[in-house]
Amino acid sequence: MSALELVTVDSAARGTGAARGQRILRRLLRNPLAVTGLVVVVVAVLAALLAGAIAPFPPDHTDFGAALRPPSSAHWFGTDELGRDQLSRVLFGLRVSMAVAALSVLLSLVVGVPLGLAAGFYGFLDSLVSRLADTLLAFPFLVLAVGLAAIVGPSLGTATLAIGVAGIPAIVRVTRSETLRLRGMDFVAAAVADGASDLVLLRRHVLPNAFNTLIVQATVAAPAAIIGEAVLSFLGLGIRPPAPSLGVMLASAQPLFRDGPWLAVLPGVCIMVVTLGLNLLGDGLRDALDPRETPR
Amino acid sequence: MTAALEVVDLVKHFGAVRAVDGVGLCVAAGEVVGLVGESGSGKSTLGRCITRLMPVTSGQVRINGTDISRLSRRRLRPLRRAFNIVFQDPASSLNPRMTVADIVGEPLRLHRIGTRAGRLARIAELIDQVGLPSEVERRYPHELSGGQRQRVSLARALSAGPSLLVADEPTSALDVSVQAAVLNLIGRLQVDLGFACLFVTHDLAAVEFLAQRVAVMYLGVLVEVAGRASLFTAPRHPYTQALLSAAPIPDPARQRTRRRIVLPGEVPSPIAPPAGCRFHPRCPVAVPICAQVVPPLRPVGPSGELVACHLVDDDGTGPRLA
Amino acid sequence: MTMSEVRAAVRPVLLTVRELSVRFRTEDGPVLAVDGASFEMAEREVLALVGESGCGKSVTAMALTRLLPGNASVSGSVRLGEQSLLELPGSDLRDVRGRDVAYVFQEPMTSLNPVLAVGRQIGEVLRRHQHLRGAAVTRRAAELLELVGIPLPGRRLREYPHQLSGGMRQRVMIAMAVACRPRLLIADEPTTALDVTVQAGILDVMRDLRAETGTAILLITHDLGVVADMADRVVVMYAGRTIEEAGVDALFARHSHPYTRGLLEAVPNPQRRAGGLREIPGRVPTMHDSPEACTFAARCDYADEVCRRNRPLLMPGPAGHPVRCFHPLPPAETSATTAQTGDASPAAGLAREVTE
Repeated sequence: MSALELVTVDSAARGTGAARGQRILRRLLRNPLAVTGLVVVVVAVLAALLAGAIAPFPPDHTDFGAALRPPSSAHWFGTDELGRDQLSRVLFGLRVSMAVAALSVLLSLVVGVPLGLAAGFYGFLDSLVSRLADTLLAFPFLVLAVGLAAIVGPSLGTATLAIGVAGIPAIVRVTRSETLRLRGMDFVAAAVADGASDLVLLRRHVLPNAFNTLIVQATVAAPAAIIGEAVLSFLGLGIRPPAPSLGVMLASAQPLFRDGPWLAVLPGVCIMVVTLGLNLLGDGLRDALDPRETPR
Repeated sequence: MTAALEVVDLVKHFGAVRAVDGVGLCVAAGEVVGLVGESGSGKSTLGRCITRLMPVTSGQVRINGTDISRLSRRRLRPLRRAFNIVFQDPASSLNPRMTVADIVGEPLRLHRIGTRAGRLARIAELIDQVGLPSEVERRYPHELSGGQRQRVSLARALSAGPSLLVADEPTSALDVSVQAAVLNLIGRLQVDLGFACLFVTHDLAAVEFLAQRVAVMYLGVLVEVAGRASLFTAPRHPYTQALLSAAPIPDPARQRTRRRIVLPGEVPSPIAPPAGCRFHPRCPVAVPICAQVVPPLRPVGPSGELVACHLVDDDGTGPRLA
Repeated sequence: MTMSEVRAAVRPVLLTVRELSVRFRTEDGPVLAVDGASFEMAEREVLALVGESGCGKSVTAMALTRLLPGNASVSGSVRLGEQSLLELPGSDLRDVRGRDVAYVFQEPMTSLNPVLAVGRQIGEVLRRHQHLRGAAVTRRAAELLELVGIPLPGRRLREYPHQLSGGMRQRVMIAMAVACRPRLLIADEPTTALDVTVQAGILDVMRDLRAETGTAILLITHDLGVVADMADRVVVMYAGRTIEEAGVDALFARHSHPYTRGLLEAVPNPQRRAGGLREIPGRVPTMHDSPEACTFAARCDYADEVCRRNRPLLMPGPAGHPVRCFHPLPPAETSATTAQTGDASPAAGLAREVTE
């Protein structure tokens, strides 16, 4: 009798949980924009990881004989005033951007998620945490970065820290609202009735269901981090030259714009493309992580 | 024998909202008691207070004799083996990230019942008892229909062998034919496993099918508690009479000849319940005392059934509406 | 005489639906929500369209005035009086909606605009379709609220939807719907979200309105009690097909389709307590196209190869009314069942006492 029920299970239900990842991937791949974003991100990550192997020149290799050359077959992205190959510098700069993005988002998550969970779960903590987050949010990002740089000195670490800290309030807010929403769901009440402690509730019931939203939030935070790093480096608050960073490259390219526009345009386009790719991927992920599977 | 559930003078206020305002109820071991009421009656709140899903403002809740209303959450947790609850909405009552086997086995794991192998066997047994095929164990909730999900909820709630099950509108969100299956299942499980059941619902037909005794709730208080047959053939409280008369019977010939009692107005807000008898503003037979003195829920008639109405005499006779 | 002829002799036909099919284009492929539905309604009649979720009853109701989303394609014919609704140009159709055909839905909170006072919303309908202006609008709006049993209508006109209770909101919806004295009122689960005592009031309002304005009512519901209370005739739907059509007494006492019997016996009834409630195993399937088979065969106790290989047509059955089944139930069998559910039950006892 009940076997019949399963036979007529409707088409929305396919496969077991192990295939869930595959299903999400399939849905993602059906969306051309998401695929574009995915490709861009994958290429960027690979380029960053393999920079050492694929870069035609070391990033700080100077060649005064070939200074300020526009893009050519020898130097695809041209050279700067010191004769350094721009393609190589972009590749290594990309590595810096990706690293900063990943680490800063990680920092935001590591600090923000527990705070958000606590705020959503425990009413008495909510006001405190929310006010703290709001205070942090009120700080203009650059003021925060300048302040940090003044204390610990400008460096990649400073930039990562500043960006990570600046990203905390958004994560706290999203986590908190998801926690509040999930707390009101019957399955959480059922778990309480089953004898679950708060820790079990958060670990097994709230967090896994908030995961989707957090993933999407992370892909939103990443492009902001990349731009943030570029800005900070541009302003001299982040990575110090001669180490390549897309922001540093933009900064150095400023005075030379008339003579060598490719010096600014190419790194700038690079930032744009990677950021766009991450945004598209984020949107695609949001759609692919099927709302039908999450309780509403 | 100790009652499975004994509620004494339970009060639950949400700030100004007096959702439950002094309710006393007993459910004997192995008994099914139906708790009926409309929206605003407080019946769901009562169910959640009894299962300590929310703190109690005042009063006592005794499960198998032990008062759980004041215990700390930590002390309460091991006692939760003895009681559990199933909810109305199949869509939100199962964790979408857990397999059916995990969901059903959760109480066993949390209460550290049995060995791992033993638990797996018990889960398989429960899945079978609720009428689902064993391959359901590997599935996720979204792959199941509403009726199947309610069965899973039942398996979960019963896995630790509770002596009390609170069923909060378990069939209201299901189709008619699926409701039938779930009601049949609850009835069968209750007979086989012998747990006491507080069946909270607005569906009178379902209550008539499952319950042995019925309690009627209105605006936070009980107005009548009686045996099933007695309540449905000879309801005493005016609200009970109106409620029974309002529910249409699926039989056109009879439905046409029924005289319906239509109550004026709507259920007032639980923030400022009427003085005296809470039902008096809508009661067709109210008299002055009804607006002044709160009628106590007292035993009347030969079988000691409970009614809260000034117009019902001690021998059980009272007003007949319409 | 055929059924339609009999009916026409009694009352003129208002609505004719023939072979109505609705297909949705979805991410998972085409979904056939309504599969060749056919039925008729007479003037002033209450027709109940009954079925469980997924049977296509709501989609049918929305399809009548083309209220479906863009990914739906509708075929077949819908005639309201002389007009063929599926072929009307947009502007004419908009006139039909609201003036000749009005809707009442299940959730009044989402049908009413939360930022407009109730009086303004009723006024909008009156201004558009009845071309009233100024004080006449307010007067008529108050009259309508009184008609649907709302006390102190003058005050209510100034209130907002969230200030009203569920039952009141539904009454306002009904008032808006009948503002133009439509010929047909389509009510899609109008009382499902309401308490049973409030439901009784709303059903009374609809009944009184019908008596007073002569509106026909197409009542979509899954609640057989409501059907017994309100309907003159009933159409049962399953998996997008209309499978039985009968007068209300005939449907309850002399139904022919096994699914209809399943539905009726699934409702708890004191007389049948010993046997438990009838369960129909399985679920209503989602149809992707119209199979050459009976859609209920997979769940039917009486299905055989004929049922699984051939599409049954809607034809007069053993009880005299149309049924879509190769092996309809003989009337004697079903009357026996209902005789049991008859007078001896406790609820009937109550009814007797109450009327005495």
